[in-house]
Amino acid sequence: MTKLKANKPSKIDELKAMTPKDRKRAIGDLLMNNAMFIIIAIAVVGIYIAEPTFLSLPSIVNIINLTAAKLPIALGVGGCIILAGTDISAGRVVGLSACIAAGLQLTTNKLFPGLQVMPVPVAILAVLAVGACVGFVNGFFMAKFKLHPFIVTLSTQLIVYGIILIFMQLGTNSGQTLSGMSEAYRNFVTGELFKVGNTTVPRYVLYSAIIAVVVWVIWNKTTFGKNMYAVGSNEDAANVSGVNVTKTIIMVFILAGMLYGLTGFMDAARIASVNANTGLNYESDAIAACVIGGISFVGGIGKVSGAIIGVLLLQVIFVGLNYLSVDPNLLYIVKGMIILVACSIDMRKYLVRK
Amino acid sequence: MKKVIALALALVMAFGLVACGSTAPAETTAAAAEGDAVVETTVVAAEAAGVDGEVSIFWYTFGDTYLSSVRSAMNAAWDAAGIKYHDYDANNSQTTQTEQIQTAITKGTAVLVVNIVDASSDDATQAIVDMAEQAGIPLVFFNRSVSEEIVSAYDKAAYVGTDYTQAGHMQGEMIGNYVLENYDALDLNGDGQISYVMFKGQEGNMEADARTQYGVEDADKVLTEAGKPALVFYDDANPSKYLLDANGAWSAEQGQNLMQTLLSKYSEDNGNMVELVIANNDDMGLGAISALQNAGYNKEGGKYIPVFGVDATDAAKEAIAAGSMTGTIKQDAEGMANAVVAISQNLATGADKFDTIDAANVVGTWRVNIPYSAYTGE
Repeated sequence: MTKLKANKPSKIDELKAMTPKDRKRAIGDLLMNNAMFIIIAIAVVGIYIAEPTFLSLPSIVNIINLTAAKLPIALGVGGCIILAGTDISAGRVVGLSACIAAGLQLTTNKLFPGLQVMPVPVAILAVLAVGACVGFVNGFFMAKFKLHPFIVTLSTQLIVYGIILIFMQLGTNSGQTLSGMSEAYRNFVTGELFKVGNTTVPRYVLYSAIIAVVVWVIWNKTTFGKNMYAVGSNEDAANVSGVNVTKTIIMVFILAGMLYGLTGFMDAARIASVNANTGLNYESDAIAACVIGGISFVGGIGKVSGAIIGVLLLQVIFVGLNYLSVDPNLLYIVKGMIILVACSIDMRKYLVRK
Repeated sequence: MKKVIALALALVMAFGLVACGSTAPAETTAAAAEGDAVVETTVVAAEAAGVDGEVSIFWYTFGDTYLSSVRSAMNAAWDAAGIKYHDYDANNSQTTQTEQIQTAITKGTAVLVVNIVDASSDDATQAIVDMAEQAGIPLVFFNRSVSEEIVSAYDKAAYVGTDYTQAGHMQGEMIGNYVLENYDALDLNGDGQISYVMFKGQEGNMEADARTQYGVEDADKVLTEAGKPALVFYDDANPSKYLLDANGAWSAEQGQNLMQTLLSKYSEDNGNMVELVIANNDDMGLGAISALQNAGYNKEGGKYIPVFGVDATDAAKEAIAAGSMTGTIKQDAEGMANAVVAISQNLATGADKFDTIDAANVVGTWRVNIPYSAYTGE
């Protein structure tokens, strides 16, 4: 609510000059355009009143940690949604990357007997490469054969799961959960960045922030980024204006795949155990976060800040529901309703503009 | 106008959220706000209940039938003890569970009760123990097994489980005796051997491994001691000697699918019908029964293939009463729930960890085993 008040003085003269009808509309638009902030604010205040520890320092740091962990995959999916597509292979790619990152960092390696612990950068390069490969396949079939993204990524999702299962059977591992990763790797991801009071902020918060900045630059400051928006809002128009549509689509999915790879890299160290189901259904929360954050399925619309807000809102609500001790059976219903309502409000915003 | 409606909707939702939470008793204590301080203040403040603040229980999934019965029993036990509690559903993801625990600790919880998702990962266990130890919160693992070294390293931690090999041994013995008594009736093709199929719930799970091994080994022991040949796996070409739920979910759906596929190739007409079904848990056994019933078996008055499970879920008990299932091994859901509640209370009040627990079931200083029992109907 404070946010609204802060906005008023700057617009107040403007409002005064309007006819009552216009004024009403202007205020309505203002509320509408900031609906997500208003919902976050109401949710935070409401949960805080019911459970004051919600706004304690450890709790806030916890929410930031969770948001950071889920941001890269949301940014990846976000790019695909801007193309008016989607990516349901995201979760499995995270899983595969997590398996590979863990597999290169095991102290006693059952997957590759005798393999020493690899330097951390090798693991990063490996997950980037794997993510990029899957992304390339996704983008290639979408661009070349004009297949619907849902179909292509459904197929790659299955293929990647198969690869995960085979990977986990390598050596003498026989499908067992991978754990026992090197301290260097775990520390690289979860080590202390700095301390606020007694609460440790882990390093991956910084990595996630860097990733967000890089993606922002790519989306906003490069030709590729501008092409992405152009293809997303109108593929034919983009084509006619000389944009290489095929290349753009493939690149968007490669970028997305690399972001999933990094999510997997961070997740393996964060959770310290990886099995064949790691990453399962991650894409559903990521897609929900993007859409809540205003990255529209209409295509061509969406911002990095939107993805951040979407992930943050989801985490605030998930954590908040736990703080409120909501019955876990209802949790799924509430989650579903929030996504539905949030997206409806957001869509209204764009429908009004059109 | 539409804008107003949309906004109103948002407001309703936001308030709804808050309303959801306020159904819990509003007397959130000041002590709870201070996290670590909870336990100390408790002992003086509320001696009757023994635990101040909320106990958090982390379930690996709400979708598990047996654990649902433990949950009902445990919730009843918390209520009876006058302890506030909150259940979390990890939905079979260690990531979700670790995050939920992290969140519960920041919220301030009196005791962490954890049904760990990745039972085969010491690192996941270690991470949870570290979080609890750092916050000084008592920690009780239950049902899904954790390593002794990790649990014993934290003095406020304990594990309530079962001797995981016991279920397999009991199931094997039960099967052996049953087959011995009904040998000729079971031998459908009259080749003098009983062919069986084994359904394994999950790869890399100690419980599943032990049940898969002992369920057959112990039955064979009973049979060979009585001078009968050992059980024969129905498919020579399968060296693993079990069919696996590849999703690792011990699910009825997989039991059904696998059995149905099997029945399409193996039947009495071909003279190679499977004569005995052994499953790692009741859900898979019940799935197999539904496939058998579709093929005309295990219905009233029809031919009968014996099916054995583990867990003694309500559905399995009904199936046994209805005659479609043969036997199961009962995990004592109530016994486990009560032990978890008692240990949580002891840890929170600073009493001896295993006070009020039957000493015969206590193993060392770190775990309690809840005994199994055979169930073939009441």
